[in-house]
Amino acid sequence: MYYPEPISKLVDSFTKLPGIGPKTAVRLAFFVLDMKEDDVLDFAKSLVNAKRELTHCSVCGHITDKDPCRICDDSDRDGSIICVVQDPRDVIAMEKMKDYRGKYHVLHGAISPMDGIGPEDINVPSLIERLKDEEVEELILATNPNVEGEATAMYISRLVKPSGIRITRIAHGLPVGGDLEYADEVTLSKALEGRRDL
Amino acid sequence: MYIEELTLTNYRNYDKQKVVFDKKINVIIGENAQGKTNLMEAIYVLAFTKSHRTPRDKELIKWDAEYGKIEGRVLKRNQSIPLEVIFSNKGKKAKFNHIEQKRLSEYIGAMNVVMFAPEDLNLVKGSPQERRKFIDMEIGQTQPVYIYHLGQYQRILKERNALLKDLQRKPNADSTMLKVYTDQLIEHASIILERRFQFLQKLRKWAQPIHQGISRGNEQLNIDYDASIDVSEDVNSEKIRIVYEEHFNHIEQKEIDRGTTLVGPHRDDLIFYVNDKNVQTYGSQGQQRTTALSLKLAEIELIFEEVGEYPILLLDDVLSELDDYRQSHLLNTIQGKVQTFVTTTSIDGIAHETISEAEIFTIHEGQLVEER
Ligand SMILES: Nc1ncnc2c1ncn2[C@@H]1O[C@H](COP(=O)(O)OP(=O)(O)OP(=O)(O)O)[C@@H](O)[C@H]1O
Ligand SMILES: [Mg+2]
Ligand SMILES: [Zn+2]
Repeated sequence: MYYPEPISKLVDSFTKLPGIGPKTAVRLAFFVLDMKEDDVLDFAKSLVNAKRELTHCSVCGHITDKDPCRICDDSDRDGSIICVVQDPRDVIAMEKMKDYRGKYHVLHGAISPMDGIGPEDINVPSLIERLKDEEVEELILATNPNVEGEATAMYISRLVKPSGIRITRIAHGLPVGGDLEYADEVTLSKALEGRRDL
Repeated sequence: MYIEELTLTNYRNYDKQKVVFDKKINVIIGENAQGKTNLMEAIYVLAFTKSHRTPRDKELIKWDAEYGKIEGRVLKRNQSIPLEVIFSNKGKKAKFNHIEQKRLSEYIGAMNVVMFAPEDLNLVKGSPQERRKFIDMEIGQTQPVYIYHLGQYQRILKERNALLKDLQRKPNADSTMLKVYTDQLIEHASIILERRFQFLQKLRKWAQPIHQGISRGNEQLNIDYDASIDVSEDVNSEKIRIVYEEHFNHIEQKEIDRGTTLVGPHRDDLIFYVNDKNVQTYGSQGQQRTTALSLKLAEIELIFEEVGEYPILLLDDVLSELDDYRQSHLLNTIQGKVQTFVTTTSIDGIAHETISEAEIFTIHEGQLVEER
């Protein structure tokens, strides 16, 4: 099908988003054409600003508009506990529960030799540095309950163990930002059984 | 258990087909390339969500169709359960009692199926992979948790092998991550091996007398599990774990040099002996066929022992290939208790009283017609 170039470009942009195929992209593109110009401008601005104004916290790796982030900066929070997660979305999910008063460390991924991701490719080195500088008593490993998440947790545990810091593993039901593949994966139904020492 | 009815939509060469089956024997007669194997495959897929002849789900969807669907009702423990498997370019869905099951291990086992097709001779003649697939499928359909361990094992194995390849290139790299994967691998490997040992003991128990029967008392069947570690079959997973740990410790450097995992259930094999001779190497065609048949018949009994009901038996193109004696041995064993599907190009090759009571269907270009 032939579309005028501006539309083609818009369609092409939409298909870069996850879960959007060519058909949906065309539908969205034509929807945008029918939107009010102000709304479209706001939309475009939000996109650009989200990208420009958000950075990663230099302490914990969480997404933030100021550095260090509000959580790291909050002196009411317990700095002796760090919860290690794979994805910023995991922090947001944990914060919704409102139970947790410690701090976080966001790895931005999990170790996977298959995908060429080693410990240095995610925020493991910065975690190790942090443990040297800060007074941390407990590390909660809340990586995803799949093979890669488990392996990452076990790896960190092996590195940190000699320091004497208490290490626990939290098992959530479904991984928050995780991919649940149909065929071979069964998430461990250990949801919220509490933390176990590693 | 038995399938009461089956509905195929855009599946292989079927447009839309609904069939009601007989509780006992169903014979499907048709020329070549009319859809006999496709029908057997559909029943198999309804049980396993996977085909027995292709790993590519896309092939199951009728050419040019957007999706393909298999629906069936299975009567099990006096309950009629609707099952459904749908394939589309978005992947597949399996529904048990209209509810989508997200995990394979929650769906498999809803319906038990044993298939015997000419390619099952490969069970004896073929590669170790064929035999591992046989054990895994059979344990999986009676113990869904086994599928979970197998899935995890395969995933860890891939990661571990990728890491070993990296270490092979950088021999001085830190091996902490390798130890992590070894631990993870062993956790599942020891459970898999324990379950395989248990399965094998049951398989032997059933297969040996059956084989003796089919061979008119002339042949004694033995089955060995050829494990990549040295461990006896009657130990539990804890003991197996210890043996794996020692072994992996011992071969770490060798694994790094080779860049791959050298030990584990993915390296194991089954060895069949008839009268103490390896059937794969020395057995005649007939002996190999008898061995495959004994294993399949043993599977039927084994599933009955585990599940409390007989599985559904699919005989694709094999009945007419068996000599009269083997044919009637098979049909006598299943008579009256196992719902069986038999495909053939001609009913002439099958002379047994069970056939006279069977429901007969003819098939032509993906259209199934009930004859009586
Ligand atoms: N995805 C598909 N869409 C449409 N037709 C298909 C598809 N896959 C296979 N077929 C066709 O289905 C036909 C029947 O195949 P099937 O294997 O069931 O034959 P059969 O009756 O078992 O024959 P034989 O006696 O030779 O074993 C083949 O001609 C094949 O081309
Ligand atoms: Mg066929
Ligand atoms: Zn922070």
